[in-house]
Amino acid sequence: MAHRDYAQDRESIKTFLAEFCKCDDDGKKDFVYGSQLVKLAHREQVLITIDLDDLAEFNESLAEAVIENCRRYASIFSDVIAELLPSYKQQEVHAKDALDVYIEHRLMMDARTRNPMEQRDERNAFPTELMKRFEVSFKPQSTEKAHSIREVKAQQIGKLVTVRGIVTRCTEVKPMMVVATYTCDRCGSETYQPVNSLSFIPVQECPSDDCRVNKAGGRLYLQTRGSKFVKFQELKMQEHSDQVPVGHIPRSMTVLCRGEVTRMAQPGDHVLISGVFLPMVRTGFAQMIQGLLSETFLQAHRIICINKNDDITDKDCELTPAELEELAQDDFYERLATSLAPEIYGHLDVKKALLLLLVGGVDKRPDGMKIRGNINICLMGDPGVAKSQLLGYISRLAIRSQYTTGRGSSGVGLTAAVMKDPLTGEMTLEGGALVLADQGVCCIDEFDKMADTDRTAIHEVMEQQTISIAKAGIMTTLNARVSILAAANPAFGRYNPRRTVEQNIQLPAALLSRFDLLWLIQDKPDRDNDLRLAKHITYVHSHSRQPPSRVKSLDMHLMRRYINLCKRKHPTIPDELTDYIVGAYVELRREARNQKDMTFTSARNLLGILRLSTALARLRLSDRVEKDDVAEALRLLEMSKDSLNQIHEHQKGHVPNTSDRIFAIVRELAGSGKAVKIADIMDRCTTKGFKPDQVDKCIDDYEELNVWQVNMGRTKITFI
Amino acid sequence: MCAMPCNMELPSSPEELTAQDNENWKELLNDSTKWHSIPLLNHTPLHKLKDQGLVRFRGMVQDMMDPEIYLERYEVKLADGSARTQPGKYRDCLRLGKDELLDYHADSNVHGERRTLFVVSVPGLNDWAKEHEKQCNPQSQQLPSVGSGVKRALDEQEDMEVDKTDESNISSAKKQCVNVESKAETKGCSSAVLGSDYLLNSPLPSRPSMACMVKVYEEFDKYTLNSLMDFVGFLSVDPALDASTLDVEAMKDVESLAELQAQNPSPFLIPRLHAFAVKSLCHANPLLDESLQQPAAIEAPHAPQSLESIHKDLRMLLKLCLFEDELAAEYLLCHLISTVYSRSEMQSIGKFALNICNLPKECLQQYTTKLYEVLELLLPASHYLPITLETMNTAAFTPKKDYETNKLVSGLLQLAPHTHLVLDETHMQQGKLEANGVHAIQHLANLINNQQLKCDFQYYQIDYNVDIPVLVLSEGRSMLPSDFVMPIKADEKAVQIYEESLKAALHYLQPGRLQQFRNYLTMSRIAQFSVSEEHTEMIQQEFVDMRKANVKSNADDLHCLLVLSRLLGIARGNATLDKETWHLATEFESKRRQRLQAMPKSSTSMRN
Repeated sequence: MAHRDYAQDRESIKTFLAEFCKCDDDGKKDFVYGSQLVKLAHREQVLITIDLDDLAEFNESLAEAVIENCRRYASIFSDVIAELLPSYKQQEVHAKDALDVYIEHRLMMDARTRNPMEQRDERNAFPTELMKRFEVSFKPQSTEKAHSIREVKAQQIGKLVTVRGIVTRCTEVKPMMVVATYTCDRCGSETYQPVNSLSFIPVQECPSDDCRVNKAGGRLYLQTRGSKFVKFQELKMQEHSDQVPVGHIPRSMTVLCRGEVTRMAQPGDHVLISGVFLPMVRTGFAQMIQGLLSETFLQAHRIICINKNDDITDKDCELTPAELEELAQDDFYERLATSLAPEIYGHLDVKKALLLLLVGGVDKRPDGMKIRGNINICLMGDPGVAKSQLLGYISRLAIRSQYTTGRGSSGVGLTAAVMKDPLTGEMTLEGGALVLADQGVCCIDEFDKMADTDRTAIHEVMEQQTISIAKAGIMTTLNARVSILAAANPAFGRYNPRRTVEQNIQLPAALLSRFDLLWLIQDKPDRDNDLRLAKHITYVHSHSRQPPSRVKSLDMHLMRRYINLCKRKHPTIPDELTDYIVGAYVELRREARNQKDMTFTSARNLLGILRLSTALARLRLSDRVEKDDVAEALRLLEMSKDSLNQIHEHQKGHVPNTSDRIFAIVRELAGSGKAVKIADIMDRCTTKGFKPDQVDKCIDDYEELNVWQVNMGRTKITFI
Repeated sequence: MCAMPCNMELPSSPEELTAQDNENWKELLNDSTKWHSIPLLNHTPLHKLKDQGLVRFRGMVQDMMDPEIYLERYEVKLADGSARTQPGKYRDCLRLGKDELLDYHADSNVHGERRTLFVVSVPGLNDWAKEHEKQCNPQSQQLPSVGSGVKRALDEQEDMEVDKTDESNISSAKKQCVNVESKAETKGCSSAVLGSDYLLNSPLPSRPSMACMVKVYEEFDKYTLNSLMDFVGFLSVDPALDASTLDVEAMKDVESLAELQAQNPSPFLIPRLHAFAVKSLCHANPLLDESLQQPAAIEAPHAPQSLESIHKDLRMLLKLCLFEDELAAEYLLCHLISTVYSRSEMQSIGKFALNICNLPKECLQQYTTKLYEVLELLLPASHYLPITLETMNTAAFTPKKDYETNKLVSGLLQLAPHTHLVLDETHMQQGKLEANGVHAIQHLANLINNQQLKCDFQYYQIDYNVDIPVLVLSEGRSMLPSDFVMPIKADEKAVQIYEESLKAALHYLQPGRLQQFRNYLTMSRIAQFSVSEEHTEMIQQEFVDMRKANVKSNADDLHCLLVLSRLLGIARGNATLDKETWHLATEFESKRRQRLQAMPKSSTSMRN
């Protein structure tokens, strides 16, 4: 890299700070840094953050230089600002702390006693660090990608990098000396020592002219009041689990925070830290044993907690245009769905529903009332139909998820517990699985095996999306904006088609109706399906990978990012669709009344349709729900109902139908005789509630079967 | 290759290695006899080894530390103002003479990156394998008096030629004597802060393993957690590396004292090794490792016996141990050669977790341990774990990250691939399972079902793929899941004389035969197997028919059948599946199913 002309850079930095402005909407010029400098001068602001986007706009090569050699430019910036500040002072500033008073005092003294001709020893001059009461930090360019810790290598030393990770440890905030001030016991002059590293060797002998010339051997004493300290904190951060390659251990990194960036994060926080990657100069033991080694650390400039701030997601998650194009193909809905648990064969509609669960519908808050957008799904089915695998896959795919089994969870374990700290006796709240999965998915396997009392704890979560606690003096409401994905086994080992859903899985209707979709996954022998399944399994065994399918499945990482992208959309339902939805709902209700349905159709279904269709619109990355979305939502709802009801069609062979019952009556009428008058049959049947056309149909059916013969005038039948 | 001088010596110091072309040395190590000639750190006491000498260490990667940036080449300023450069690769300490100073800011300094791996000797390595390794160790081979004398002389010569700046060998030998003494001291001292057990971090506390910190310089991505590796490199046991001897008082203000001590344990407790050649091992069986072969063993191999006859003998042996139950013997044999041969997103294919249940009540007390004695003789690495309330509630099962010291504290289940875990459920009593116990059961179940180990990083958990075949011995059906539940059909006569039978089995296992069995098991485990197109179709058809005949059969059954047929085929020495093996597998499975159905059903299984 060519050497840069620092003097020239200084000048351009000066102009940048003084002149950079942004035009706001009214066309008024907003001097971003100028106004901040005024605040700095008045000691109303401590930290000035230079946005490298702005700097790049002003002078691109300068911004690049800052990234390359960050520490140097940070000091140039701070020097320039120190130089500029006096001219920005618009009023007299009141001293804020002891150091202010001290500096003011010294400056006055200095001005009074100082002989302008006298050349002072540099060490006795006020170091600029002592006078600076502000801090400079850089905000990386918005195009900057967040690295994982293992991507930060020796090449990045001295550069501004952004690293993503989780804080594992942090020290207490301690004062760190920046400028040490000493007074001499002989001549009384003050000596300053700027400290740049983590440790320093105190100066012993007075360097002032008086003492040196007279060989007085003045001893220096450290003055705490006159020294400048900054807040200092050391963090340890570690890679996040998704950044760790298979079979490796997460890496960690030391982060040093000074001044305003301290106390920004706590252990457990997911953070984005921008800072300068530097080698550490250690002394003492560390140096002794590691003579050959140099430790590195990140000097933090900016710390953002991701978990506290949802708007800021790191650039890592953005999809590249190529990936977007790959996703934007026509069949992306099917593709995404088949990419869910690709090793589980078939069940496309179930997977589609699960995909929508991951994406979620849109929350609505009309007039303070909250209507949840999260979709709850319950999978029922015979043992061994890969329900648990589906759950496991979803819990791995979802960015935030909890997996529990009904047997192993109590209501308290799911919701929240009030715990008494054994040491302090304080009551503390501890979130259970549902709280921990806030804004995520909570997968509950073996839902049916849960105790009833524990299950009721979920009712509130499923509709209100909160958990209320009134226990041991703690009354609070916790958020649990969670989608519930439950899996249940039928009560009698296998699904019994003659019983209702409630009887089959022994869950109360109140709970069942809270699920937007109920799926029954059945395991029925079917030649084609079985053969395909067998092919699939044998392929996996002999080739050690998934068979090539028509649609290539997408990898989990891509899916995760796409779902994340979808979640940022908030589609609305246009007015013209309301009629269509209302019509569809009315139709559903009517059908449910007419048929002896095994499922429920309630107002909750209407909300379910809305949720599903908004989720579908999200999946298309659209801002508007379209008619197709609603149609698909209705189709899914219907399919889910069908999966519960289809058994009844099966059953029709066994349950005697009308013709059979009429035939029984005819047999009865005939007694031992062979012929029966049709008029008699009509009479008997109508009294029993059959319609004449049903009787006619029966007569025709059985004639075809050659059970009886009907005479020409259609008045009499004779058994054969 | 012939021109390659086979008598070319291995590098005796890091400087010699860095001075010359690296590739040459690598090639030199292709020759397994060269490996053989290097002393094994696993079995050589430290005082017999020389600091900066070439050693070899076999073990499992237990933890990986953060990368280090070190000075690969640095400039040293002499007192008279002149300067020289010094290579720093493969070394821990600076090499400075008197009045010499390191110039940190010299332009000729080159920084390099290296990684530190925390390697422990293979956990659960059985005694016979250890013994074999020990015998192959070049140092113990020679007579101590003569051998060491010759070696010493040689070393001295080399040192003179190559390594003038190093302290003379005699003084280093002296120093080591001092070190041995100081070792005892430091141990006492360090235990005040961090116990040596904690530092050694053995996965199996009851069978402590040896630890070594290996620094690697290339192919960083090759190393994965829990993999078996064979390292050759330079030993580094400079006492200056020890942080535990530090004056604790003076260091009080250091925030991360515990971490510093944990990362820099006494080199006499945990030696450092700077690796320049690495072999990854696909099995821990030393008998099949050429570099661990005694010359005599190569010369006079045992009369080769056909695979079938070994298979037959082994089956007979297992049958003898399993109360004359032929079917159970077949399954146990399959279990012993099983390995996870393929993984897709959620499945680990090839695992063969076996639950041998229905053990006769008369001999529960003794039988399991006796059976394990036999298995122990056959397998290079295995571990017997009685499941009792106490172990479940107290033992650490999975590794857990300790952020105080930045170490991954090991757990019982952190085992190298193909280390058999034998869980004995017969000692379980009724009682309360505490939180730790519940987690332990979950971890075991996760291990059995997915062959994955969940490491606890406190803020999150990471799954690591493992390959630990699990055998559960239980009275009734085990509470842990398993792929194959095998109720034993004990022969009544055999039950009465089971003690004698097991004794006979042990007697039968003569060294020669044992070696055959051991090799057979390892070879079978790594054997390749394929299924032809034609047979695949047959299997598919059979599955469809099976579904027709029995609705309850599902995809899992097919997985089981495929794995079983594969293992039965391999056991019989076949490389491809044939019809007979497939039918054998289906026959075995149906027999097993019948036995299962005949088992008394418990109230819980009725409910499900």
